[in-house]
Amino acid sequence: MILAVLAVPLVGALLTWRAVGRLATALHAATAALTLVGALAVAVTVNRAGPLMAFDGFLRADALSAWMIALIGIVGALAASEAPRYVAHAPGRFYPLFHLFVFTMLLAVSTDDVGLMWVAVEGTTLASVFLVNFERTRASLEASYKYLLLCSVGIAIAFLGTVLVYFAGIQQFGDEVHALRWTTLMRLAPGLSPRVIELAFVFLVVGYGTKAGLAPMHTWLPDAHSEAPAPVSALMSGVLLSVGVYALLRFKPAVDTAAGPGFARGIMLALGVLSVAIAAAFLWTSPNYKRMLAYSSVEHIGLVCLGLGFGGTLGTSGALLHVANHALAKSVGFLLSGRIRAAYGSAEIAAVGGLMRGMPRTGAAFLAAVLALVGLPPFGLFVSEVMIFSAGFAQGFAAVAGVVLFLLVIAFAGLLRGAHAILYGPAVREPAAEPSGWRPALPMAAALALLVLTGLAWPPGLGAALDRIVAIVVP
Amino acid sequence: MTTASNLLAFLGLVVTLLIVWRQSWPARLRLFAAQSLLLAALASTVGVLAQRRGLLLVAAVVVVVKGLVIPRVLARIGSGAPVRPITPGRSSGITLLVVGGLVVAAYVIMLPVTSSVELPTEGAIPLAFAMALIGLALCVTGRDALGHILGFLVFENGIFGLAILATYGLPGIVEAGVFLDVLVIVLIMEAVVVQVRREHDSIDVDRLRELRG
Repeated sequence: MILAVLAVPLVGALLTWRAVGRLATALHAATAALTLVGALAVAVTVNRAGPLMAFDGFLRADALSAWMIALIGIVGALAASEAPRYVAHAPGRFYPLFHLFVFTMLLAVSTDDVGLMWVAVEGTTLASVFLVNFERTRASLEASYKYLLLCSVGIAIAFLGTVLVYFAGIQQFGDEVHALRWTTLMRLAPGLSPRVIELAFVFLVVGYGTKAGLAPMHTWLPDAHSEAPAPVSALMSGVLLSVGVYALLRFKPAVDTAAGPGFARGIMLALGVLSVAIAAAFLWTSPNYKRMLAYSSVEHIGLVCLGLGFGGTLGTSGALLHVANHALAKSVGFLLSGRIRAAYGSAEIAAVGGLMRGMPRTGAAFLAAVLALVGLPPFGLFVSEVMIFSAGFAQGFAAVAGVVLFLLVIAFAGLLRGAHAILYGPAVREPAAEPSGWRPALPMAAALALLVLTGLAWPPGLGAALDRIVAIVVP
Repeated sequence: MTTASNLLAFLGLVVTLLIVWRQSWPARLRLFAAQSLLLAALASTVGVLAQRRGLLLVAAVVVVVKGLVIPRVLARIGSGAPVRPITPGRSSGITLLVVGGLVVAAYVIMLPVTSSVELPTEGAIPLAFAMALIGLALCVTGRDALGHILGFLVFENGIFGLAILATYGLPGIVEAGVFLDVLVIVLIMEAVVVQVRREHDSIDVDRLRELRG
């Protein structure tokens, strides 16, 4: 079953490579739909019957992988539903790269081999760099150059960390064939040299943290997210960042076991606070609404990092739920921002005003997404943020939690200020007509409905799924 | 093995210093190719002495990919660019001082690794890491796309050298992934640089200054 989920986007990428016109769009839609179905099927199966494996355990999906696979499937389908709008206006290999990008992310979260995970995470950069530069403007060129360079350097640092983990493994236990396997690593963890593992984790945090968009390694993120076409921004912000967090989350329990829980926690808390602080500052100064959404991603990834740092059942499950909530809210935000940009011809806040009058439906949905992102009920981000902060206070980090709450208020006001200017500010120009009918509204409405669900009444199985993940990552 | 690996890693570091010191692009490119060959020699030495056949294959791939293909692509990217930077160079005294500091830092950072084990190759590990750090510094301070790529590749060579010295070879799929990765990055870089040159009539990425805030 894992094989099927991985094969669908890969085959889809190959098929859409040569296809043109309507056929390409149909293949694209079929691939995205099948990926979604497969991802959800994997998630359900893993939660009912335990981990899935293939190739002698080389590919392995446990509850944590299943969570990520389901998210990638959902956000992938959301983004895919919006993609044809962009492909119509520009040539280029959008569909194949899109599905290749989805494939690399799925591969990264469904392998037991931390080496292959590294290869797959690097693959996400290579698959998406041309997508960032899809519009071939000067700005998007600059964004893709920065993205490629910074993420390649980052991922090379993560490679160094992976090598050191492997080194620690074979030094203590000789040549175990599976020493690069995560399951083996967890078994060996109590005997690994703490100093080497600590050093390795520093490299891993810098490396995968670059991919996750944690400050101060986040500088590629606002550029790439704002210049990429909206479906790609949605994928990058919604799930690519979380794949970086996922990679760290795989190593964290081993580090906690080998070196004690304080080490990883200190690093994660520091990076989390810094990310939220930097995002809060830039949310006030950003003149461009796509950049604003990008900085909001830095903020939310910072919160996820804090939740993992606080740890415990509450902090970890809060962080994972926050990953999912943020993925839904931010992809809706980016997809709508793409429609707004198409209608107004600019991503500057100053160029867009009176969205509520000019594009009432899009405006209302954008308002809902922004309210979700600032963490207001009834949306799920409120619940997951409450979980993260309760964990902070419960674990005795009241000062850290207090500082971050204060920063959140600043970020909250910054994001609302920008959104207010867009939605209710004086109209500068008339937008093009917004998409009409129920079809363009459906994916957004579905995503927002899911968010209300995670905010008000958890669907059956969600709590149990989170508990299963906590059992994996909290040693 | 200790003598051979120390010597090769030391030579690698010397070549890295020369890359920092030289300003002429073709010379730096030749130095990079030489460094890659040293890396291949290191891989095959460790492979023979520690009886790891896989490393001989790795050495062969290093020669082809990093010794031949990548320098050729880089030469193609660099053709047309001025041989030396037009703006006055940095003071090489200060640069070399910084590099010296990085070598010391490499020894300090790698202390947990070298002190935790008794490996015949452990003396060379900090040298390889110093190579990586200097590459990273080159990459960060590079003034044009060529400088960035070259810095990145030196960085990558250092890490790869360290991997060989510390683990005597990684599982095959990871090594294959690393080579594929470096090759694809260089090819994508070429495509991007071609476009930068078309847009800006220069590969001076300092002109990429539109995205702010």
